[in-house]
Formats: sequence, C-alpha cells, structure tokens
Amino acid sequence: MTGDIVEAAKFIGAGLSMIGALGGGVGIGLSVQGALEGMARNPDAYGTLLTNMILGIAFSEAIAIYCLVIAFLMLFVL
Amino acid sequence: MEKLGLNLGYLLVQILNFAILFIVLRKWVYEPVLGLLDKRRQTIAQGLEDARIAAEARANAERDAEKIVAEAQARAAQVVREATDRADAAARDVKAAADAEVAKAREAALAEVAQERNRILGELRSQVAALAVAAAQKIVGETLDEKRQHALVDQFFSGIKAGKVTLLEENTVTGASAEITSALPLTAEEQKIIRGELAPALSSGAEIKFAVDPGILGGLIVRVGDKVVDGSVTGQLQGLRQNLK
Amino acid sequence: MEKTRKWRYGINRWIILLLLIALVVIMVFVPRIQPHIQVAPENVSHGPLFSLPVLGDFYLTNTLVAMVLMDIILLGIGYAVYRTIKKGDLVPHGLAGAMEALLEVIYNLTESSAGKWARKIFPYFATISLMVVVSNLMEMLPGVDSIGVLEESPHGNPLWVMIPGFMAAVVQGSAEHLGEGYVVVPYVRVLSTDLNFTAALAVVSVAMTQVIGFQAQGWRYLIKFFNFTTLISKPVFGLIDLLVGLLEIISEFSKVLSFTFRLFGNIFAGSVLLFLLGSMLPFLQSGMMLFEFFIGMIQAVVFGMLTMIFMSQATHGHGAEEHHE
Repeated sequence: MTGDIVEAAKFIGAGLSMIGALGGGVGIGLSVQGALEGMARNPDAYGTLLTNMILGIAFSEAIAIYCLVIAFLMLFVL
Repeated sequence: MEKLGLNLGYLLVQILNFAILFIVLRKWVYEPVLGLLDKRRQTIAQGLEDARIAAEARANAERDAEKIVAEAQARAAQVVREATDRADAAARDVKAAADAEVAKAREAALAEVAQERNRILGELRSQVAALAVAAAQKIVGETLDEKRQHALVDQFFSGIKAGKVTLLEENTVTGASAEITSALPLTAEEQKIIRGELAPALSSGAEIKFAVDPGILGGLIVRVGDKVVDGSVTGQLQGLRQNLK
Repeated sequence: MEKTRKWRYGINRWIILLLLIALVVIMVFVPRIQPHIQVAPENVSHGPLFSLPVLGDFYLTNTLVAMVLMDIILLGIGYAVYRTIKKGDLVPHGLAGAMEALLEVIYNLTESSAGKWARKIFPYFATISLMVVVSNLMEMLPGVDSIGVLEESPHGNPLWVMIPGFMAAVVQGSAEHLGEGYVVVPYVRVLSTDLNFTAALAVVSVAMTQVIGFQAQGWRYLIKFFNFTTLISKPVFGLIDLLVGLLEIISEFSKVLSFTFRLFGNIFAGSVLLFLLGSMLPFLQSGMMLFEFFIGMIQAVVFGMLTMIFMSQATHGHGAEEHHE
C-alpha cells in the first residue's frame, strides 16, 4: 500500500515539476519574438540575430530541461 | 548518487580523458592550425602591402609617363611651330623676292613698252606734221612755207616757241619737282630747252619727268610742285567750250 | 529563366516510401517493448575490471565504451589534420580543410570576445565543443543504444516478447529464466547521458576559468570573491560588495551544476524521447532524430561558448569592469 502511494506520488511529482517548463516556453517565445521583430526591422542583421536567437533559445530551453531532469529523476531514480 | 551514476572514479577517468584529448589535440591540431591561420593572415597582409606598393609604383609610373608625354608634346608643338615659322619666313622671302622680280620685270616691260610707244610716236610725229601741213594746205588753199609749217607744228606739239616755253613765260612756278606732259614725245633738244627754262624755278636737284599723253592733242601740261599749268589743246578747247556756253 | 526539370521516377523516393511502409508494418506486427530507462550508465562487463582502494570497483560501463570510441574518432581526426598540415600547404583540403575552417570560426569568435587571451582560451573552447559534438552525434549511429546484451531486470519485458523485436540481442543467461523480465543493455550508450562526463567537463571548465583568472590578474583575481577593498572607505556598500563576492563563490559552484545538467538533461531527454517514440510511434523517430542532431550541435556550441565567455570575463577583472561602467 505504502509502495503504491509512493509510486503515485512519483508520477504526481514528475507531472508537477514539469510545470516549470512553462517558464522555458515563455522565455523561448519572448526571445523569438524579439529576434523576429529585429529581423523585420533590419533584415541585414538576419544572420547574427538568428545565431543569437538560437543561443538564447538554448539557454531558456535549459530551464525547461532542468524540470525535465527533475521529472526523470523522480520517475527513474527515486 | 548511486542511482545517478555519479562516481568519483569515473569522474576522474573522464577528467583524465579530457586532459589527454586536450593536450594531444592542442599539439596536433590547434597549434598547427593557428600557425597556419597566422601564416595565411601574414601572407594576405604581405600580399595587400605588395599590391599597395605596386599600385603606388604604377601610379608614379603613370604620372611620369604623363609628364614625359606632355613634355614631348610640348617639344613637338614647339618644333612644329618653329618649322612653320621658318617655312613662313622662307615663303615670305621667296614671295617677296618673286614679287620684287615680277615688279622689276613688269617695270622693265612697262618701260620698254613706253619707250617703244614713244619711239613710234616720235616716228609718227614727222608724218603727223606732214599730214597736218598737207591737210592745212588743202584747207587754206595756199602753200605755206614748209619750214615754217614744221616749226608751227613743232610749236603746237611742244609748246616751245623760238627756244622758249610759252607756258612758262606766262606763269611763274616754283616747286620741288616737275612733270611735263606732252601729246607726242618731245625731242631731246626740246627737253633740254624745257629743262633750261625750268631750272631757275626749281630747287636744285629736282628732277623733271617727261610723260606722253596723246589725249591732250597738243601743247604741254606743266605740273610743278602742287601747281598745274594747263597749256594743252584739250584744256584750251574746254575753256573755249566753257566760254561759248 | 529557370529550367523546369522533367518529372522523373527517381529511385530514392521509392526507397523512402518502402521504408515508411516497413515501419508501419513493424509497428503493427511487432509487439511493443517497454523501454528500459536508467540514469546511471549500465555495466557491460559482469565482474569489476579492477578495484582501487578508495575509488571502489571499476566496471566497464557502456559510456566508457563510447568514450573510447570518441577518443578514437577525435585522435584520428587530429592525426589526419596534423599529417596534412605538416605537409605545409597554405590551404589544406579535405578533412583538414574542414577542421581548419571550423577552428577558424571558433578562434575568431574567441578573439572577438577575449582579445589577447584568445590563444589561451581557444583550446578549451575547441576541445569541449569537439568532444561534446562528437559524443552527441554518436547518437545518430545505428547500433548505439540498441545493440547490447540481455540482462535480467525486474522492470523488463519477458523474453518471448524481446526476441522478435528488432533490437539485436545476444541472449545471456540460462533457459530457466524464460518468462521473467529482461532488458537490453546496449554496448554503447551516448556519452553525454553519463553524468560523469558532463560533470567532468563542467569541473574542468570552471576550474580552468579560475586558473586563467589567476594567470591574467594574479592574486587580484581573488578580490572578485573576497572583496575587502571598499569595506573601510564605504562601510555599507563595502559590506554589500563583500557579500556579493561571497555570492560569486556560490555562483561558481552553481555554474558547475548548470553546465552538468544542461548538457546531460538535453541529451538524456532526447534519448528518452527517442526510446519512447521508438516504442510507441516508430515512424516519428526519424523526425525526432533530425531534431536531436540539431540539439546535439547546439549544446556543443553552447557549452563551449559559455566556457569561453566565463573565461574571458575572468581575464577582464572585477575592478576594471567597474571602471568601464
């Protein structure tokens, strides 16, 4: 019985931890928005903006990835 | 930690592995590639520098060439101008010489023509006189003394009567030069008489020209200085016509 | 005017179509296997290779196999480049040319950020990027994560389900265990899904950042952490500066954690996604592979570039930076 509860709590915790991915999603959206506005205003800066945008996406994606790691830890390690 | 798989031993293995790769790659890849990049950068810089120097040299050469060409053109223009001037001068000289020659030839020819005419007129004079005497005889109907006739005719043509110029007796003239115009050429004797007559009136060294104009029919026109004494038949006829009007 | 190509019945599109059909057939007829997901690297060898007094037993884990593979690939590339460049061409061709172009880009990036310290920082940037990109892209090789030994496991699938599956398996264990749970332990597992690897890279990166900071500024580098300079002249702000300096120490440790889990999380999540898709919707896995390829390269660049940025910040110095602002 206790084992089942712990099992259920793992899944619930993993799901809850993925809420944090919200922030990563918002961050990616904001950075892409800024980059696209910049590209629309100054198409010459397309290359540098794209590179920096992808870097920024990677950084904000990392936040979501941390959440995913926590979720994995709950699911597979604990 | 167990379940995460984190283990000090494996961590050290990975760090060692990184160190090995780092050292080997730095020796084999990074240093040669960076050296290559440096060498290439240097080569490009050298090439650019060379190109700049070459461009400068070419610009200098072009400027020199322009200067040389300009100088050569100036020299050529000068030579041409000098040649043209010289040719012009030569042509002018030649032309002047030719003109002078032509003028001289024409003068000579004119003089010859005048002389010839005078000679012919001189030859004609006696015949004219004879004809005139004959005509007068016909008209008057009496035979005149032939000697006197000739004297009359001579007087008519030369305006000299008994060794004197009738015209000069009536008018006094003074001047620096004189020109005597007669209908027929005067004989040397007559010219001498006129000269003798005019000599006191003229300043010394003045020359006396004798001209022939058959248009005046007879008598003399004497022009001394700026004064003209008309003793010609034409002039007298004109005066007569004026009076008759 | 653009030339319109005539429609041709090319052969490649039919091959792709056949493969897609085969995927659907496999999906329908082959039983699904519940994927085996484990954070810690699996042991390929049964007994410990050797044991050391403090560190404990050493097993041959599948990530160590991947590490050796990565070493072979990188050293091979390095030796090829070394041989080519030693010949003395100003413009190398082939592999050396590609490596040289890649390193030139990395070097220019480093130089634009680090200036005269680029020579020192560049090898770390390049080595970390190359290692991470090679180990990440190893995921694309067929056989990685899929060929291995069968081992007993309480969460495994029964053997009669496993055998028809397309994971090539070497059956180990005796016949009486038939019917119990088995999992495939792959011989090669992507190196970046081993926390030891990412932690080692992170530790090296942060530690070498401190070393370069000392080389650039000498003992003044410590002012960044223990800032007593303004404590006497401006007591209030001096205290704040001191606390900020102590926070910097914590941030250095958090950098290690951040480096470790960023790379590990990205690649491990990708692997899990591939496992799950492979067991549920196999035909989507190829598209996911493309995405993982992209992610793998980006994470390599991010790891290297963050290292480079931290290192070049360490060379600038705390005081000088304040003067600029």
